[in-house]
Amino acid sequence: MKGFWKEVTKLTHALWCADEHACVFCGDKHGPICLTCTTDYLHPDMGRCLGCGKFILSEKTHCFDCAAGMGPKQLDQVTAWGHYTGGLREFIQSIKFKAHPRRLIEIARPFSDWAISQLPVVDGVVAVPMHATRLAERGFNQAEVIASALHWELGLQIIPGVERIESTISQVPLSRQERLHNLKGAFAVRQPEYLKGRSVWLVDDVTTTGATLEAVAEVLRESGVQAIYGLCLAAGMDKENLAGAKPQA
Amino acid sequence: MNFFLTLTKNGNVSFSPFWEKENLDPSIISYLSAPLPLALIQVVEERLDRQVPTCFWRRGSKGKDIKLEILKILKAFGGDLLCFTWQEPSLVSSIRQIGSEQNHGNEQEDEVRKAFNQLVLARQLSIGDLHGLARELRVKEEEIIKLAHFNVEQGSGQWIPAVKPLGSGWQCQRCGEKNVDEWPSLYGMAATCRSCESIGSSTSLNVLYRDQRSLLDGPSEVLFQPHWVLTEAQRQASEQVLEFLQDPSVETALLWAACGAGKTEVCFPPAAWALKQGKSVLFAAPRQDVISDIVPRLKRDFPDYPFQVLTGTSLVKYKVGGMVLATTHQVLRFWRAFDVIFMDEMDAFPYHGSRALEWGLQHALRQDGKMLYLSATPSRDGLKAVQLGKMKLIRLPARHHRNPLPVPSWERSRHSLEPKGCKDVAVAQIGTLRAQGPVLIFVPKISWIVPWIKCFRRRFPDWSIDGSYSADQGRSTKIEQLRQGKFDLFVSTTILERGITLPGIQVVVLAADHPVFDERALVQMAGRVGRTRENPAGKVVFMAENMTAAIQTAVQWIEEQNSLALELGLIEA
Repeated sequence: MKGFWKEVTKLTHALWCADEHACVFCGDKHGPICLTCTTDYLHPDMGRCLGCGKFILSEKTHCFDCAAGMGPKQLDQVTAWGHYTGGLREFIQSIKFKAHPRRLIEIARPFSDWAISQLPVVDGVVAVPMHATRLAERGFNQAEVIASALHWELGLQIIPGVERIESTISQVPLSRQERLHNLKGAFAVRQPEYLKGRSVWLVDDVTTTGATLEAVAEVLRESGVQAIYGLCLAAGMDKENLAGAKPQA
Repeated sequence: MNFFLTLTKNGNVSFSPFWEKENLDPSIISYLSAPLPLALIQVVEERLDRQVPTCFWRRGSKGKDIKLEILKILKAFGGDLLCFTWQEPSLVSSIRQIGSEQNHGNEQEDEVRKAFNQLVLARQLSIGDLHGLARELRVKEEEIIKLAHFNVEQGSGQWIPAVKPLGSGWQCQRCGEKNVDEWPSLYGMAATCRSCESIGSSTSLNVLYRDQRSLLDGPSEVLFQPHWVLTEAQRQASEQVLEFLQDPSVETALLWAACGAGKTEVCFPPAAWALKQGKSVLFAAPRQDVISDIVPRLKRDFPDYPFQVLTGTSLVKYKVGGMVLATTHQVLRFWRAFDVIFMDEMDAFPYHGSRALEWGLQHALRQDGKMLYLSATPSRDGLKAVQLGKMKLIRLPARHHRNPLPVPSWERSRHSLEPKGCKDVAVAQIGTLRAQGPVLIFVPKISWIVPWIKCFRRRFPDWSIDGSYSADQGRSTKIEQLRQGKFDLFVSTTILERGITLPGIQVVVLAADHPVFDERALVQMAGRVGRTRENPAGKVVFMAENMTAAIQTAVQWIEEQNSLALELGLIEA
């Protein structure tokens, strides 16, 4: 009987406090994202490089590389929600490498709210595609899961049609030049008429140099897409900031 | 890792990680163009089995029908996302090395195969684990998969989905957990287990390799040279343990020992007997420090015997030997591997209360294997099993120096023992205790540590006083200094309740009536006193406003051990 009442209290508590979640990133304070993690990873006080989404000082518009003309050219704007470090990095890695795509639900609302406040409304979202071999191994494409979260929260249509036809090696160990070269001919659109004249958010999990977004944007432009905005969960920090304004996490 | 679904001339469905003719059984005539998760292939196999009776009369055209049927079943899962064609296995034109180089290559391959087969005996490994093994052996990941699959084809190993559909739900095959995270995948619903994630991910899209061979291949010579003489109490217990191992009628037993009675050594002679019989032995414990404490003692007493030490921080994860020392998490990497398991500290975190670790330990035991739990403070479930007659009870009630265990005294405090008031009476009492030896003071909360240290320092400015808790950065240095007797007073949370011997120490538990102190914690804390021959006695004081059931039980347990020891003539009256 005692056990029964214990369960009842637990259940009532769960219903009553349905809105109280632990922080997605650190797990112990008020969520979905606690104040400390918001400051540490989402940096509301900082700007994003319009060219590649990197974190920059709020008074700037472009990062060092993009200002020097080395960034992506095909995108109208790129933006990223948080800095790829600490708890946010662990969160993304747990989704991709520990097979927890469902965890993206936990951030669907704050991420979508933020995205709609940063980017113009568009016709739909395009997820950066994954090659069939990788998809077969992992069983899901995290970019598609993010796109479906945006669809769920904001009612934006998911636009299919871009494919990854070349399986490339991982971008991680490559330099900026090598990354662009690595992705040459990796993406294709089979039915361009479906995309013509539309405006889209191009969604991926992480961006560092913007090379992947750029390669997809290229085939989208060729298919007649009018406006392309890159949107990612996380991006890097501009080199200049790392040395000066922000201590490295 | 995914597998190619294969089909033989007779319409038998099977699977292989490879599609090249040279890696496939010659009777296989076709395979599906894209590889699939094993769980899905098993679903296909099951559904085909169910359909067999209805279409036996069409046996003539079975081959074609089965191909269509399989595609139909798969379509139900992945819709249009999965598209397959049937392919015929073909030779891959790889130019083999010729002449002496080829021989050299073969020799190397043989060595790798031999090493692999020794290291994976009785193991249960994820693909991530196999990749780690490939790195340790310095071969390509694909080579290791090939060796594992060869064993599967020979019947000495098995591939199983890491998380398997079970009824309307799922079950993780590594830790037994049924409460898993479900998510929609390319292949329909998939599931990921969270409870054993700390040793690598386990999902329904991936597989485990289970080796079905035994760790030892038969009786052998074992050099056992104990460097100590068992006390009378230990000798009696050790004999009972050996009897238990030899008695086919009981499977589990509990060795209930007094704190500091030397329960680990009691198991050494029975372990030696088991190894000589060709029975594999596991020493398991929930925490790493217990394992690292046993290792040097075993090495000394079994000088030549190869054994595997596996903890979360071991650099080499794969070793050879019929005796294994492992934390309970590492035990999840074994499957029906041990004839004898000695499980130390069954009531300690993280084992106690973890369904996954308990399941893992049960499944690491071979059929008709023996499980002996060791504890000074057995868990409620353990005691219940003894009462119900499901578990044999072996007692070890006395310490080697033949002195009774110090019985705690309850000092009633009139006020709460919160540190803010810095109670004079309590402080004075603790001060007098110091005359008999250094004093270890347990508190129920981390937040009490610093204020109590300050309070003691104010009162005894010349003494060396410090404290520690789990997240304390300087924890290990402070504990080392404590071992060396460098502190007069030391304030701690329950982190020091187990597994530490401090010569001459006296123990005070502040707010012993706090709910965090159950009878087990209290007995363990009291058990720090009087462990050495030089200081066989000492004081244990429970300071509390109220007497609780936990305090009563703790005192009762300790008194019971003493009276049993007296009865058996194991301590001096």
